[in-house]
Amino acid sequence: MEKRNRILIVDDTEMNRSLLADILSAEYDILEARDGIEAIALLGKYHTNISLVLLDIVMPRMDGFEVLTIMNKSGWIHSIPVITISAETSSSYIDHAYDLGATDYINRPFDEKTVQRRVCNTIMLYTKQKNLEGMVTEQILEKERYNFLMVEILSNIVEFRNGESGLHVLHIRVITELLLKKLVARTSRYNLTSSKIALIVNASALHDIGKISIPEDILNKPGRLTDEEFAIMKTHCAIGAQILQNAPNLQEEELIRVAHDICRWHHERYDGRGYPDGLKGEDIPIAAQVVSLADVYDALTSKRVYKPAYSHEESMRMILRGECGAFNPILLECLVDAGSHIEEEVRVNSPSGMSSMEIQSIATELIASNELRASNRTLALLDQERIKYRFFASMSQEVQFEYNIHSDLLEVSEWGARYLALPELIAHPKQSKQLQKVFPAADFQSFICLLRGTTPTDPIVSGSYCLSVQGEPRWFKVVARTLWDSEDRANYSTVIGKFIDIHEEQLELANLRQLAAQDSLTSLYNHRAAREAIEAKIAANEGKNFAMILFDVDYFKSANDQFGHIFGDEVLKYVAQRMRQNIRQGDIAARVGGDEFLIFAECQSDAMPQIQRVFHTLTGQYKDFQISISMGISLCPENGEAYERLFHCADQALYSAKKSGRNQYRLYDKSIQGFLSVLSPMDN
Amino acid sequence: MTVQQYYAAIGADYNEVIRRLGNEDRIRRFLLKFPADQSFSILCHSLAENQYEEAFRAAHSLKGISMNLGLTPLAESSSAVTEALRAGPPSEDIGPLFAQLEGDYNTILAAIQGLSQA
Repeated sequence: MEKRNRILIVDDTEMNRSLLADILSAEYDILEARDGIEAIALLGKYHTNISLVLLDIVMPRMDGFEVLTIMNKSGWIHSIPVITISAETSSSYIDHAYDLGATDYINRPFDEKTVQRRVCNTIMLYTKQKNLEGMVTEQILEKERYNFLMVEILSNIVEFRNGESGLHVLHIRVITELLLKKLVARTSRYNLTSSKIALIVNASALHDIGKISIPEDILNKPGRLTDEEFAIMKTHCAIGAQILQNAPNLQEEELIRVAHDICRWHHERYDGRGYPDGLKGEDIPIAAQVVSLADVYDALTSKRVYKPAYSHEESMRMILRGECGAFNPILLECLVDAGSHIEEEVRVNSPSGMSSMEIQSIATELIASNELRASNRTLALLDQERIKYRFFASMSQEVQFEYNIHSDLLEVSEWGARYLALPELIAHPKQSKQLQKVFPAADFQSFICLLRGTTPTDPIVSGSYCLSVQGEPRWFKVVARTLWDSEDRANYSTVIGKFIDIHEEQLELANLRQLAAQDSLTSLYNHRAAREAIEAKIAANEGKNFAMILFDVDYFKSANDQFGHIFGDEVLKYVAQRMRQNIRQGDIAARVGGDEFLIFAECQSDAMPQIQRVFHTLTGQYKDFQISISMGISLCPENGEAYERLFHCADQALYSAKKSGRNQYRLYDKSIQGFLSVLSPMDN
Repeated sequence: MTVQQYYAAIGADYNEVIRRLGNEDRIRRFLLKFPADQSFSILCHSLAENQYEEAFRAAHSLKGISMNLGLTPLAESSSAVTEALRAGPPSEDIGPLFAQLEGDYNTILAAIQGLSQA
């Protein structure tokens, strides 16, 4: 059974849609959209599986003109015909629709026959056009294919006679192409389009076909040619050109014309002293100039019956010094530009690594085996890919998205849209209030900046953003890449990517960080974490005063001995709890050793009242154990501003307090300088 | 009431409609759907709230539907309201235009009642 064509009816009024559906459903499959946004979504989904669009103009949310505009930007308008239907009869409306690429315009009230005829005619017209396009494409491909094959065969005949393996022709192609590309980058003087370059590269393979008429003993003579022999050798240029000129009915062919120029003039010199015609400067066609240089380079770097192979460097030097002919200065610059590339390419395309040759022959075979058939098959495959993509997207539990810059439409995967409570399709996302609720404008802007930094060679970016999921902030990691059209290398056309919910991981990470910084018994900072926090505080200090208070529990060892270690741990926990209760937020409390603790607190210029208060709150009774402490204090910035120094001073003050009979506090001063230390690693 | 009688009752041209839409069955089905269309109530509603853009679209829809079904009097009166609303807030009182539209709408609706009883 023949596949039925599918028609998309876009109208905000249900009555109108169903009347049109009623008129058309006998012949066609019908899709309906209630406004422009739905229409664009369906176009994106079905694309060329829609044969025709019937489009109302006046609609809410997105009107028919906007739909046409988007269809233009996305290129759909070239493959999907649109018939507008409206009760508007003013010519400005109708003209505007036509200007935007509508194929036809039907006025209300329409009649059944008119609608059916116009729909049928339009679809037929487009189908025919598509078929014709396919045929033309195929013919062009065919012609290219034969050109390529014939050139291959001809040039290989010459190579074969020359006792070479076809590599010379291959090298000439590669070098010619590299030189031409550099030339285009340097100047627009020669009007070299990419198709012209392809043509010259192809024709370059034919440069020596004239050698077919040179006797083999001259062609392959190991030694120097005599004057007579050289005169015969020189005829290969004119003969090659003659062969091409005699090709029946092909004088109009661009390839033959370019090949003729190359054959005849690839031994001319820029200074006019070449042969056969003694052309000078730009009188020599650029194709011949380039091939001439490529020929010389390859002759130098290859082994021949009459000479060894020179190195790349040596060859470059000989050419640039003018020892091997006279060339267009700009071409010599191109040779220098392309130098390392040429060396690389020529080495790859040599008998030890025939990769590119192999690829070429595979390509030739592929082309010949008719695999590159018309575009309809490709379209069908593309549709299959779309279905696959949707299926996987729906299962992945990720927020996947695609944004097209031409249509300014953001498409969110089905699951993602549901998860974020967003529509699947967002027109003009930058202005979308709904999107801003989920993705705050400032973050969105920073994401766009990230994307603007991408290039065709480096298109992938990633980052972390906090999105609002049904009102709750959650962390997401985003990975996105930009896609670039081949024509427009300055701007990307599409962004694809996904947001992955990493909220739980992020929390877990924060949790682990905290655990790593904690003393496991008391949940205070451990020594290392305290040091980092203190150093950060000192570094951020804006003229504030701090006290570093170092203390240990007197006779703690006897508590352990008397009541057991479990009780000892309880005492330490109790002390830690008292510490926490008696410092302010932002102060730092840490356990720095067995029964040694540290407090780093902001204080007034007179720190004494605060220190006394801390000292007293830490002294007291825990069950049967009388807690007393010895305390040493250093002040920042008075005693120093480096952590090591402050710790050392507090440590010495603590030692002094212990020496003076425990259960007391000592401020560091000069008199206790040089005391032995309790803790400080500096003195151990 | 037959479809032909219906068009006579509302002062419209049955022959023109049958020529355009092909068969009587289709016309009858869509006439019976007409009361369910929301354009008229949206028009009343949005006019009451001075939502002129929406009112324009509703009047425009009503015009389109009635043109297609050949409900000529309503097509004409809704066309007049559409034009009055095209440029945003109307420059003069559209009360009389709307009254005409409302009258035509009610006539057509009442006649459809007769059609559904047949």
